[in-house]
Amino acid sequence: MHPGIIFLGVVVGSVLFHIYTPWWWTDIASNWGAMDDTINLTFWIGGGVFILVCLFMVYCVFKFSYKEGRKVEYKPEDHKLEKILTIATTVGVIALLAPGLIVYNNYINTPKNALQVEVNAWQWGWQYRLPGEDGILGTAQVAKISDNNPFGINLDDPNGKDDILIEDDVLHLKTNRPVKILLRSLDVLHNYYVPQFRAKMDAIPGIITYYWFEPNKIGEYEVLCAEYCGVGHYAMRAKVIVESEYNYKSWINEQETFSDLIAKQENNKLKKILIVKNND
Amino acid sequence: MSDNSLNNLPGGFKGMSHDMGSDQTAFKGVQWGKVMMWIFLLSDTFIFSCFLISYMKGRTSTVVDWPNTSEVFSLHVGGVPVPLLLIAIMTFVLITSSGTMALAVKYGYEKNRKMCGWLILATAIGGLTFVGMQVFEWSKLIHEGVRPWENPFGAKQFGSFFFMITGFHGTHVSIGVIFLFIYARKVFRGDFDNGKRGFFTTMKSDYVAIEILGLYWHFVDLVWVFIFAFFYLW
Amino acid sequence: MSDEYNQKNAPLEAQSSDTISGTSGTPSKDIDYVRPAELPEQDLYHGHSFITKWIFCQDAKIIGVQYFLTAVFTGIVGLVLSWLMRLQLGYPDLVPFITAEHYYQFVTMHGMIMVVYFLTALFLGGFGNYLIPLMVGARDMVFPYVNMVSFWMFFIAVCVLMASFFVPGGPTGAGWTLYPPQAILPGTPGSNMGIILMLVSLSLFVIGFTMGGLNYIITILQARTRGMTLMRMPLTIWGIFTATALAMLAFPALLVSCIMMTLDKMLETSFFMPTIVQAGEVLDYGGGSPVLFQHLFWFFGHPEVYIVALPAFGIVSDLISVHARKNIFGYRMMVWAIVGIGGLSFFVWAHHMYVSGMNPWFGFFFATTTLIIAVPTALKVYNWIITLFRANIRMNTVMLFCLGFIVTFVNGGITGIFLGNVAVDIPLSDTYFVIAHFHMVMGIAPLMVIMGAVYHWFPLVTGRMLSEKLGKWHFWFTFLGAYSIYFPMHYLGFIGVPRRYFEMYDSPYVASATGLNEFITLAALIVGFSQLIFIYNIVSSLSIGKPAGKNPWKANSLEWLTPEVPPAHGNWGEKLPVIHRWPYDFNVPGAKEDYITQTTPPSEVISAEVEKT
Ligand code: HEM
Ligand SMILES: [Cu+2]
Ligand SMILES: [Cu+2]
Repeated sequence: MHPGIIFLGVVVGSVLFHIYTPWWWTDIASNWGAMDDTINLTFWIGGGVFILVCLFMVYCVFKFSYKEGRKVEYKPEDHKLEKILTIATTVGVIALLAPGLIVYNNYINTPKNALQVEVNAWQWGWQYRLPGEDGILGTAQVAKISDNNPFGINLDDPNGKDDILIEDDVLHLKTNRPVKILLRSLDVLHNYYVPQFRAKMDAIPGIITYYWFEPNKIGEYEVLCAEYCGVGHYAMRAKVIVESEYNYKSWINEQETFSDLIAKQENNKLKKILIVKNND
Repeated sequence: MSDNSLNNLPGGFKGMSHDMGSDQTAFKGVQWGKVMMWIFLLSDTFIFSCFLISYMKGRTSTVVDWPNTSEVFSLHVGGVPVPLLLIAIMTFVLITSSGTMALAVKYGYEKNRKMCGWLILATAIGGLTFVGMQVFEWSKLIHEGVRPWENPFGAKQFGSFFFMITGFHGTHVSIGVIFLFIYARKVFRGDFDNGKRGFFTTMKSDYVAIEILGLYWHFVDLVWVFIFAFFYLW
Repeated sequence: MSDEYNQKNAPLEAQSSDTISGTSGTPSKDIDYVRPAELPEQDLYHGHSFITKWIFCQDAKIIGVQYFLTAVFTGIVGLVLSWLMRLQLGYPDLVPFITAEHYYQFVTMHGMIMVVYFLTALFLGGFGNYLIPLMVGARDMVFPYVNMVSFWMFFIAVCVLMASFFVPGGPTGAGWTLYPPQAILPGTPGSNMGIILMLVSLSLFVIGFTMGGLNYIITILQARTRGMTLMRMPLTIWGIFTATALAMLAFPALLVSCIMMTLDKMLETSFFMPTIVQAGEVLDYGGGSPVLFQHLFWFFGHPEVYIVALPAFGIVSDLISVHARKNIFGYRMMVWAIVGIGGLSFFVWAHHMYVSGMNPWFGFFFATTTLIIAVPTALKVYNWIITLFRANIRMNTVMLFCLGFIVTFVNGGITGIFLGNVAVDIPLSDTYFVIAHFHMVMGIAPLMVIMGAVYHWFPLVTGRMLSEKLGKWHFWFTFLGAYSIYFPMHYLGFIGVPRRYFEMYDSPYVASATGLNEFITLAALIVGFSQLIFIYNIVSSLSIGKPAGKNPWKANSLEWLTPEVPPAHGNWGEKLPVIHRWPYDFNVPGAKEDYITQTTPPSEVISAEVEKT
């Protein structure tokens, strides 16, 4: 069999695989459809180039395989051809880059009405903090973290008092409202990634990073850690539930604020003292 | 080099493109060893640049304040703190040793064995003095409680970067000093005149080796100027 | 190059730009003129004992073989590790001793071995040492002693690396990127001795490589033979030269980050370590920047990709040209593309950090520079396939590997455009799409070149041909197998499967992908085992291979033109060769044969209508 046939088979096989593949991205559940569109665009242009290059190669292999005394072209350079190819490639590259940069610009500019959600990552788990009524998250420091203050919120920052603390890895979001995810890490790098939302960003100890998206499909989604963080990396999962405004409200009303937590702890302390006293 | 056609080469940019386009060598009449040293130094420049850029990044992003360097590095002379005193002397010594090195190279090419040897020795002693003063400075800081992992005067990165970068530079100087002593011995013994073969490499000795060592020495000097500026003047 | 100095300093010109046409009169000594030698003969050390001849040997050819064998040994270790990982991914629980700790240690060691200790050492240390002096017409590297030390440094680095498998806690499992803080904290396997040995080994590698690299660069710049201008060098040399130059400027960043991380680990400095709370305790660290490490690492890491790719580009250009019996198309553009890609590769590093939390504005800059690199890279691909057009292609094993290279490289290059374009990278980064991409472009594609190059140069090194029949089997297993590992793997990335996952459990994404994972694992095992064909071919051909004779491929470049085959110490016998043309004069109109070697003077092929050089 002529080797060209197998190479042809590889190209055709790749295209067929792409057409009939059962493995494709998960249905999108956020506003980042534009990312899928840029991927598609890249697929068409890139895939086209791949097919053309390979087919041309296969053609040459068929047409010009070795024959004693075949007449071979002797042409070290062809400036016109080289120029055309350079320009065509440059145009193709610009066509890919420009839309990509526009999407990226949207990605790094968070809309004003975005809901803030702080994601706290550690080895190996997640917890969340939402701003309370004032809409502002209190400042926090990793070094202040203790059993009584699991987020390390600055006690003298009034903004922190009404922050809603979720010491659980399930996050609820309401549909059609942009969310700005603020990422903090207590120890090493992590990355809060939900494939259906397309967006991701590393959490870095010491600084706060962010990204945003707008969930627009009700449902439950799995969160995967997408930055290697030690042995438990693969097990560092969590859940996001996107729900209607109404359900979201009832969920959030059940959550505890930082002041609730402090009050509860005071209570506990009192109780403990009482118990101790009673035992005396 | 025996070929006198190398004497009427074009100069300037034209000359450079001519040399690049020609056969055999890209740098006409430059010995292999010398090119090697230049390229090594280029690579070394990247090492020091990485160190210094990391230092800048570290210094600008610490959460704790950077110590006041003019206080930390000052010497007390008769009870009065004089900022930059020690460092000024160190810098002076090192720069002077660069001068003696340059002279050594000159006398070497003139085959003036004695002068060359003494000047190399002088350079080596300059380098040794520098290292000695650095040891003094280190022990002073350590005495005051500065460690790579902590620093009573402020950000702990101060100690880390200081010891790491000056240590790395000091190692360069020390290696240079060792080679200077070896070369001084070789000069006095006349190895460079009779082309004695090297112990390890079995290659013939040549006075150009002194120039190559000189390149290294000047480089180490130059790096010091940057370290000086970044640590002591910033 | 015909500037005014032509007239003034006539004897200086190598007459490289003269067009020698077949009709321009009688043969004369004049057209054969080449400038006299500038340099005295190189003074070489001749080993006599077994040890100085074969072990602490100063002959670049033997050093090259030593590098080659050591690198291949580490490569086999890396390959075996990849089987274990694939077994875990395809058939979880099948091999009980693979725990998560082990998996991550395998990933890390596999990645680091393949990139640094296998490919870099093989291309530059192996092919570089063997080919540079031969191809530029030198008797040896310029500093043979330093060259020898370079190999032994590498050897020690490999020993230290392998030692880390046996220390308590095992080798590091930090991922080949070694990102702090995780790399040196207890949550990662091998975070004590393992990571320290890794950092030490890398530092030794850098030091050893610097010694070798200085040799390669200076031999190419300053020790070429008469008539060998830079623009007459084979592209192999251009590729190796540029890659070495990149290495000299990129490895410093690696060395610095290794030193700083070692200090963070051993002295508890805080270069890369911010305040950290681990297991409820505040550690002694504080104020450092983990992102700084990533910048340093990728300032090394991205050029490193090209340190592997550029020699492959160069070598494949030569192989294609020789076996297609046609000059490489657009030689000058190929050279500028290699140099340009090399230069640009220092300005794109942060495309590995789009989601690392660096200043998001960097994304615009690095996406743009990254896609700019795509242009010269694409041009190189065009030139390879245009070279095949109207050629006379020998469909032998070497050519098959070249074709395999083109397919995998174009495939991987195009997925590179996905990942370079920042908006597209965001959903895909840190998924299996990335794994598939870089294996295709810097794993499989360079491997194709390496194997092709072994088939091509084996006759030169040993004097015997490899078996074509086994070679073809080897090729088809490797190429089709590797392609079916990595092409479908991209689709795992689309689903969203993250990389460095020991196990997916029953995540909804992967339920559908179990079959695919099993298939990939099988393909990986087949590819791995088919390398036995290769090894068998090499070992058996050493004794029963067909004697190659001189220049069996009818190539033009110098390495085939030594007086003895395989070349002896000193390469050229009595007299250094004199070069009259570039190495790509195949099928020149008017010439009697279909090739004109580089040493053929114009007067001997007077009727050939040579166009340039
Ligand atoms: C057929 C041979 C090979 C197979 C089956 C293979 C397989 C794998 C697998 C399964 C992983 C781990 C993926 C993960 O869990 O994230 C991996 C990672 C990797 N491989 Fe390979 N590989 C092969 C050859 C190569 C080659 C030739 C290179 C050289 C460039 C290479 C470089 C890497 C790197 C750099 C990583 C990343 C390590 C990390 O995530 O820290 N591999 N490979
Ligand atoms: Cu993780
Ligand atoms: Cu890169």
